[in-house]
Amino acid sequence: MHETSVAQRMVDTAIEVADQNGGGRVVGMRLLLGEMTCVEPDTLSFAFGVASRGTRVEGCPLEIVRVPTRLRCRTCGAERGGELLEPCACGMPGGEVLAGRELRLATIDIEEEAALPAGDQR
Amino acid sequence: MSKEIEVARDVLQDNRQNAEANRQRFGREGVYVVNLMSGPGAGKTTLLERTAEALGKRVRMAVITGDIATTRDADRIGRHGVPALQINTGGACHIEAYQISRAADILKSGKLDLLVIENVGNLVCPAEFDLGEHDKVMMLSCTEGHDKPGKYPLMFQESRALILNKMDLQPHTNFDVEAALADARALNPTIDVVKMSAWKGEGLQAWFDWLLARMAATRRI
Repeated sequence: MHETSVAQRMVDTAIEVADQNGGGRVVGMRLLLGEMTCVEPDTLSFAFGVASRGTRVEGCPLEIVRVPTRLRCRTCGAERGGELLEPCACGMPGGEVLAGRELRLATIDIEEEAALPAGDQR
Repeated sequence: MSKEIEVARDVLQDNRQNAEANRQRFGREGVYVVNLMSGPGAGKTTLLERTAEALGKRVRMAVITGDIATTRDADRIGRHGVPALQINTGGACHIEAYQISRAADILKSGKLDLLVIENVGNLVCPAEFDLGEHDKVMMLSCTEGHDKPGKYPLMFQESRALILNKMDLQPHTNFDVEAALADARALNPTIDVVKMSAWKGEGLQAWFDWLLARMAATRRI
């Protein structure tokens, strides 16, 4: 149940990155969430809504992209998906986790002022 | 109008950075730090009481113990003459690296040989939060069932040692030691295994020896 602290960090990071890029409201966010990461997507979405309330991120839709597990067999080196204890084709379970543990903010969308008309040099 | 900005940042980056700072600090200070994890009620505190009794006079040891509420664990360990600091996580399911850095300041980790972190009883969340420890150690008790390594693989995969506790109760349960170890070793082929009953005081010497060997090994690095 650490979705609330994860959601708070997402809001803080989005505001920080938006500020570095001229400020404005955050109107989109894409999160990469590995299948093995111990974070529950629905709970995270709810917590995100709560954490963003009263900030420039409020109302921002959250796109959660699940990243499938990729494992590399320690015995034969073959790569596979699935769960850790499902054995490789060579018969060995387990392996090095190449992907599936992500908890990564990929992109945010920030609102821009309407572009000035051509020739207007204000 | 909106524009997309590439962030590409780990959400828990701050915790990773704090953990890395802890790791460098503990390396400099020469204190061996172990993160002891299990589900609630597996026997972590009892083991640390026994460890404090046995090693507290031989090595400079302290314990950081995490719980949602109360100082009961720290009180229990503190009775054995070892400094014990309670972190109340206030509902959170895990300890974070910045809390360890504050606790290490209070406990003066630079004057210690051994610092044990007793994590919040939880088989899921502590796997996501690096604390800057040298080793993670998992404890699993017979009464929890032998299927737990397979069902909660991450924490078993990342641990250097697995303690099977409450072995005195094993004859009264359907806990299959070989099945638990087969899953744990499939996830983590080099994991060390210590079987014990912390409460009965059985099998503890192997744990003390393991700790002392790891302390010596990390000093040499």
